[in-house]
Amino acid sequence: MITAEQKPFEEIREMIAPYQRILVLGCASCVAECAAGGQKETAMLASTLRMKGKMEGEEKIIEEHTLDRQCVNDFVIRLDDIIEGYDAILSLGCGAGVQAVQEMYGEIPVIPALNTEFIGETRAQGLWVENCLGCGDCMLYHFGGVCPLARCSKQLFNGPCGGSVDGKCEINPDIDCAWQLIIDRLSSFGALDRLEGIYPPKNWSKKQGGGPRRIVREDQQK
Amino acid sequence: MTTQHNPILGLFYCRNVPGSSEQERQMLEKKYGTRIRLFPIPCSGRLEPFHLLRALEEFADVAYLITCPEGACRYFEGNKRAKKRVERTQEIISHIGLEKERVGIIIGSKDKPQPLADIIEDILGSTSHLSPSPVLQYAGPPS
Repeated sequence: MITAEQKPFEEIREMIAPYQRILVLGCASCVAECAAGGQKETAMLASTLRMKGKMEGEEKIIEEHTLDRQCVNDFVIRLDDIIEGYDAILSLGCGAGVQAVQEMYGEIPVIPALNTEFIGETRAQGLWVENCLGCGDCMLYHFGGVCPLARCSKQLFNGPCGGSVDGKCEINPDIDCAWQLIIDRLSSFGALDRLEGIYPPKNWSKKQGGGPRRIVREDQQK
Repeated sequence: MTTQHNPILGLFYCRNVPGSSEQERQMLEKKYGTRIRLFPIPCSGRLEPFHLLRALEEFADVAYLITCPEGACRYFEGNKRAKKRVERTQEIISHIGLEKERVGIIIGSKDKPQPLADIIEDILGSTSHLSPSPVLQYAGPPS
């Protein structure tokens, strides 16, 4: 999933300052899972903005709504019924959600309330970790399901670097050494021989070498 | 001359708190009238920060939560979670310039369980120094 964190409150206040009628728009997908932009967080932010506005004697109207997904037009279009009259949308979607809503409602500014962070997993309650860079050429098979690009601080394809201590990374001792995990995992599969070859440098042309990427599936189209 | 302000209390409490039956709740509401609004919840872990924020936004000068004693939550960790959520709410309101004390948590005592009515008296007493909430002083946009 895509992870995100809320922007500083004052930054959000500055961005919405020129507008009087604001729709705070949550997204019930990835950003709900990472407790940044779901229905609860949308309610919290809207409520906090309204309280601060009242304390400052502002005359803003701040209302809230949460879409199932902001990054899918079939869901975004449901705003048609409620969008009228708003000067701005404050989106708690990820960057893709903000842009999808803005694309559909070009005449209304869509303001990001979150900083989109990374593709990751929910490791435990309240802990999200990055584990995929979306490189376009998945090599997890070779590395026992542990991505050295996303999880090794040095992004080594031919590790380990030798600097880890007790299975922790020397760059950041809070994180596990990815290469320790790779070797442990491949050993448990009996597949350590996958590391006998030398892996060439990553071919990044499959990430953004050709500009923004697209996936076209004619069988899925109308 | 200063006038005594009686803060309006929004109170969320776990239904397992002693003295919190429906009949007792009705008696308390009759006793305090508009000064308190009571919100029984199945477990304090059900409370989210936005519940407290909504109370402060809409009617309350102070918003509190009462939980079961530590280690006595029927759902094991509801009261532990509630404590963190109350602390989060305190951070939020403090950031916008409201006193932290407008939000609080009372964790029940295992050794000396207090009935809901007594805890309410304690909360009203400890928050009586707070001025009316600046959020509720806002008169709204001119019509």
